[in-house]
Amino acid sequence: MPTLKIDGREVTVERGTTILDAARKVGIDIPTFCYHPGLTKPANCRMCLVDTNKAPKPTPACYAECMDDMEVSTQSPEIVKTRKAVLEFILLNHPVDCPICDQAGECVLQDHYFKYSATPSRLAHKKVHKPKVKRLGPDVVLDAERCILCTRCIRFCDEVAKETQLEIVNRGEHSEITTFPGKQLDNPYAGNTVDICPVGALTSVDFRFRTRVWMLQSSDGVCPECSRGCKTRTDVFENVPRRTKPLHNPRVNDWWMCDEGRLAYRDYQALPRMEGPAAQVEGKRRVVTNVEAIEAAALELGAVAQRQKIGVVATPWFTNEDAWLVAELLRGPLAGARIYLGGRADGTADEILRMADKNPNRAGVEAIFEAAGLKAAPLSALDTAGLEALLVFGDQHALDEAGLEKLERVPRRVVVSAFQTPLWKMATTFLPARTHFEKVGTFTNFEGMVQRLEQAVNAAASCKSYGYYAMKLAELMGHTISFVRPEDVFAEVARTVPGFAGMTWQGLAPYGMKLGEGVAPAEPPTLPQAAPPAAPTEA
Amino acid sequence: MATVTVRRRELDFWEKTYVKEVGRGLAITFRQLTKNLLTREDVATREYPEVRRKYPERFRGRHRLMRREDGTVRCVACMLCSTACPANCIHIVAGEHDDDRVEKYPVSFEIDLLVCIYCGFCEEACPCDAIRMDSGKHPLPSFTRDMQRIRKHQLLEEGGLSVAEQGGRSK
Repeated sequence: MPTLKIDGREVTVERGTTILDAARKVGIDIPTFCYHPGLTKPANCRMCLVDTNKAPKPTPACYAECMDDMEVSTQSPEIVKTRKAVLEFILLNHPVDCPICDQAGECVLQDHYFKYSATPSRLAHKKVHKPKVKRLGPDVVLDAERCILCTRCIRFCDEVAKETQLEIVNRGEHSEITTFPGKQLDNPYAGNTVDICPVGALTSVDFRFRTRVWMLQSSDGVCPECSRGCKTRTDVFENVPRRTKPLHNPRVNDWWMCDEGRLAYRDYQALPRMEGPAAQVEGKRRVVTNVEAIEAAALELGAVAQRQKIGVVATPWFTNEDAWLVAELLRGPLAGARIYLGGRADGTADEILRMADKNPNRAGVEAIFEAAGLKAAPLSALDTAGLEALLVFGDQHALDEAGLEKLERVPRRVVVSAFQTPLWKMATTFLPARTHFEKVGTFTNFEGMVQRLEQAVNAAASCKSYGYYAMKLAELMGHTISFVRPEDVFAEVARTVPGFAGMTWQGLAPYGMKLGEGVAPAEPPTLPQAAPPAAPTEA
Repeated sequence: MATVTVRRRELDFWEKTYVKEVGRGLAITFRQLTKNLLTREDVATREYPEVRRKYPERFRGRHRLMRREDGTVRCVACMLCSTACPANCIHIVAGEHDDDRVEKYPVSFEIDLLVCIYCGFCEEACPCDAIRMDSGKHPLPSFTRDMQRIRKHQLLEEGGLSVAEQGGRSK
């Protein structure tokens, strides 16, 4: 365990720790470009040079390991001067077109320049010009002039995506990133190269020129596109999601996410949303108010005296809170109903992140239904014979024509969904739901990692979560459950579902918790349940 | 704080009739009338819109978008003006330009003049000398609110040539 001094501060670290990691441990910031914690270290940008008493010349902190009795200086006059020189060299042929560069505002080069250099260029000659708009792949564009040749993108393709597609050609100031002849940057993780590019050299075709980054409002979320549940950040401008980026979660996705999940947000904008809640008025379907639609749904379901003649289609797109409230409805007023668990059909999987199950919360829904004593059959085993009423949650079900026809044969069809799908068309009563961008909750991934979802955009007033409708339906059918905040429902999930025992809403930040990992309180709480506080957000 | 009461002088009967004051006022009116009938010099009112006031040089009027030497719009849609705008009245949609030295240009550029407070931050923020407020014209009245949202082509109609070094483009 070497003990060393960094800027006079003593720190003891594991053998093999780099100076950079040791410095970050004691809160000293060493600037970097090419270093990325998820990739190998080429130490080629020279930005992290520090002075040590173990070497006659400055040492790259990202690469050099700590030694005993080492004395590191990150602020000595020589290092300050070295950094300035490194930045001047990197910026020598940089076009400094920040006003039209998409990276401006989140650019490491911009930040480091203002922090460590802030001196004008002394270049007397013309700058070297390189291609400004070079399409590397379906979603990535290269501006070779802005590139600082840190090779993060090359290393990402080699090491993480496991597909060697990028390389550097030419020498000196003519060096340039390009794809191998006949190849494209088209691996399913290519979008990550844009994220890790410290400058504006790699930009996403999808996001390019759409919005300036400082206008975006971000909220943390979970990617719902497969059962991996990568931790993500949704950037929103004017209440419209503009891009999705992966966030670091060492227990789920490290720093990465696949392009499928990254670009999925566009599908939610392309799909038409509903006009509003709808119900049968004098034999015709009309747009009604939310309250009226819920009442109509309760009447339709309540009209069926034998509960086994009611069919319920649940969805693995429920948050855990939704699932718990729906389970309450199915356990109480609708006890005995035939339950199916739908969801999207399986898709491509790989060894890196993508899972075959393209639904976000199958594990959570199954665990919660099991705890409630509910048995759900897969939607492929759908049998509507003898059913008199249907309650369908969700819009992303793998249903073919035959399946839809089967559903349509049921006389009363209550559909809760977010989009105008075939299910919406055939509903006798329709309740508009929220998408995952519009709600707060938790998802459980295939390994049982429970992660929190923040609300990214505001929903239309009539759109409510699945759980809200389940709660209201249960209330109208004589089983009062009352929650205001998803946090309160989650507390109830943690209390009643074995796997979730001991989990708290706060405890889920920042990386989430695994099922069964929570430490259950030594004694079960005996206090009566407190009335839910009247917070403005709805469950 | 002590209060001091100052009593006004009571007006006498003659003063209360205001005959003297009315007469004084009419005298001024008729003096000015006679003067204006005889000479046009030193008239305070202007015959707008034929005769207009000369605005100071730095008057901030309606916006205009400048052009490059080749006639294209100088704006590169960096949105610094809409970022600087305290009234959020500038709406730009950026697009990809065919010329890769220009890269970015405004597909649409709208300013809502009803919202604009004419502070001039936009022209100060502009790195390309693209948006200016030196047209010397003030906003025109209109029949609809939408007509006050001036579009790119309207902004360009006023726009002249600017040969300032284009920001963001290396030499």
